[in-house]
Amino acid sequence: MDFVLTDDQSAVVDAIDRLAQSFNEKPIDFHGFALRGDALEQALIEGEYFDIVQIPEYGPTAAALAVSRLAQAPFAVEAALSMLLRHALPGDDWPRPLAVVENGRPGRFVAQARTLIIIDGECIGLARPTPDMLEAVDSIFAYPMGRLVGQPQITPLDGATADTVRQWLRVALAAEASGLLQAALASTVEHVSVRKQFGRPIGTFQALRHRLAECAVLSGGVRWLALQAAATGRPGDAALAASHAQESATRVVYDLHQMLGAMGMTLEHPLHLWTYRLKALLSELGGRGGQAQAVAELCFEAG
Amino acid sequence: MDFDWTAEQLSFRATVRRFLAENLPPDWETRADGPASEMQSEFAEVFCGKLAQAGLLVPHWPARWGGRDADAWTAFILAEEMWMAGEPRGGQYMNVNWIGPTLMLFGSEAQQQRYIPPMAQGKTIWCQGFSEPEAGSDLASLRTRADRHDEVYRINGQKIWTSYAGYADTCFLLARTSPGKGGISIFLLPMDTKGITVRQIPSVIGEGDIHEVFFDDVEVPASAMLGAEGQAWEIVRTSLSLERVGIPRFAMATRMLTRAVTTLKKAGRFGAGAVEQAARAKAACEAARLYSYNIIDQRVRGVTASPEASAARVATVMAERAVGEFVVEHLPDALAGGDTMLLAHHQRAIVAGIASGAAEIQLNLVATELLKLPREPR
Ligand SMILES: Cc1cc2nc3c(=O)[nH]c(=O)nc-3n(C[C@H](O)[C@H](O)[C@H](O)COP(=O)(O)OP(=O)(O)OC[C@H]3O[C@@H](n4cnc5c(N)ncnc54)[C@H](O)[C@@H]3O)c2cc1C
Repeated sequence: MDFVLTDDQSAVVDAIDRLAQSFNEKPIDFHGFALRGDALEQALIEGEYFDIVQIPEYGPTAAALAVSRLAQAPFAVEAALSMLLRHALPGDDWPRPLAVVENGRPGRFVAQARTLIIIDGECIGLARPTPDMLEAVDSIFAYPMGRLVGQPQITPLDGATADTVRQWLRVALAAEASGLLQAALASTVEHVSVRKQFGRPIGTFQALRHRLAECAVLSGGVRWLALQAAATGRPGDAALAASHAQESATRVVYDLHQMLGAMGMTLEHPLHLWTYRLKALLSELGGRGGQAQAVAELCFEAG
Repeated sequence: MDFDWTAEQLSFRATVRRFLAENLPPDWETRADGPASEMQSEFAEVFCGKLAQAGLLVPHWPARWGGRDADAWTAFILAEEMWMAGEPRGGQYMNVNWIGPTLMLFGSEAQQQRYIPPMAQGKTIWCQGFSEPEAGSDLASLRTRADRHDEVYRINGQKIWTSYAGYADTCFLLARTSPGKGGISIFLLPMDTKGITVRQIPSVIGEGDIHEVFFDDVEVPASAMLGAEGQAWEIVRTSLSLERVGIPRFAMATRMLTRAVTTLKKAGRFGAGAVEQAARAKAACEAARLYSYNIIDQRVRGVTASPEASAARVATVMAERAVGEFVVEHLPDALAGGDTMLLAHHQRAIVAGIASGAAEIQLNLVATELLKLPREPR
């Protein structure tokens, strides 16, 4: 056991943190849901950061930390699947951005994707769609959402490869959720520390302190589980991480919006950029029920 | 105890449903704009006129003011059906539920004559000017000032989160006439008065709902005051007790849950996880319904300020939350272009624990008034 990053890992995580810092503020005139981070994405491409998982000194742990850090930005970039799934796909001609189409539903970044992971019940396949097969969809989720309207050629994956893909999808989901939770939490902590009602900051009310502290504990738990799942590459760890991420997010989203009051309903405040992304994650890979099933199969011995 | 409706109540509900079927346009459920959008508000104006003509706008008001003295059950059945249908009355529900009745209790003869008839005809929209940037949960700390200069009051300050302010003809405004809780007064302020500026706030709940309203040297005659100087707190307590269970949110939540489950079943997507969560959400809706009915029952029996009203509101917040989370997790495609009705509900449901007072304030009231716990030290 060693809970400290290596120097190499620290260096790359710091570099991504510095890069992300120039994208830390929501543009004040942006009053929508899906805030795309095209400039951030370009910077990540130029720095060759999408492939850090392949570099042995960095590996999946650094990639998971990078995904989590990028998810804290108000801008949405397809980083999670590029950084945490792409290396696990068979062959190497699967260009990014990547997106998942789960049972025909609209998904994050589908309209921009050059590689699709197509989940149809128990079957998983890969496809390289052409732009005319994809369509952007308006939604309340704060990611650019899209759907598959054409019929790309699908390369089906065998059972073992499909399991691996499912595993890294779970790691990616948990790492992304971990960043979103941290950012949403930080923004709420700031709000309740300065917002005064009844002559005192509302963060002094125990009714809020305990709930917020629990949110922090949940968020921290998601972070550790995501890092463990990335580092060990064990399928059970991935299932636990995704399960805890979805379970925690469901509750944290509700609590944080309560604490922001009406301010959290505005599109001027950035909170929704993280919470409405978390909402998009809640249904993925079968939702909490799907994750529970995976945990049951992977983490408990057959009776 | 009897958990069933009387024949008369069933027949009234059927009448309301018939009216809705005949008067809502065929594309009503696919209109994708927010609950307070321009299109909805324009529709509401025509719709409310028709409701009034059919005797279905204010049946619970006294005959003198255009009603037929129907009981609180009638009003609530009506509200359930309207809310379930996506509240085609728009901002009018505030007049019906509490502004009209408050004016009947506290208004001068002239104020009643001027303001109540247009409400009863469904011809006017009001907004509620309570919250301010620094006064949300702590409403008593509001700062907007009304200073007396002979026969007029001059109003300066700012309100925020004001629903329907962009359409409203009149504002039910709270302003400070002297320091302290007892220094707040109510003004019935025409929104076209010089010095009022309204700015819409872009929000997650859709177009047109919440606003900032600025008051710069706005002059109103002293006769625009409701009740006496400093009487706002007493009047508002009565008004809010009328509003607290005023919106039968559980009815819409129940209908949307059913709608989502039907869609999932048809698509073969109603699996084990969904079943369990749907059952929990359904039970939460039912609990909220019974809690709310208990308050209506008390009202019919003449009990008006029951502490259980706070419990009813919290139960309703729980129901909205359960249904909202169910749809997000099991039918997210509905919120990405798939079902405008479920989307509209999601937008409304998210504010259940905040609009008309934070759930946490209601929880404090449950603790203090129902559980009789000692108060938190201040
Ligand atoms: C959609 C919508 C429509 C609205 N329409 C109107 C309108 O038409 N007119 C109007 O006047 N207002 C309106 N409001 C405002 C509404 O009344 C306020 O949002 C509400 O009273 C909460 O105030 P706040 O938002 O300032 O939150 P704050 O008072 O800042 O509170 C934020 C959070 O802090 C917590 N909190 C605060 N005090 C306590 C406490 N004592 N103990 C424990 N926790 C506490 C709660 O979680 C609360 O949600 C509307 C709001 C919304 C969202």
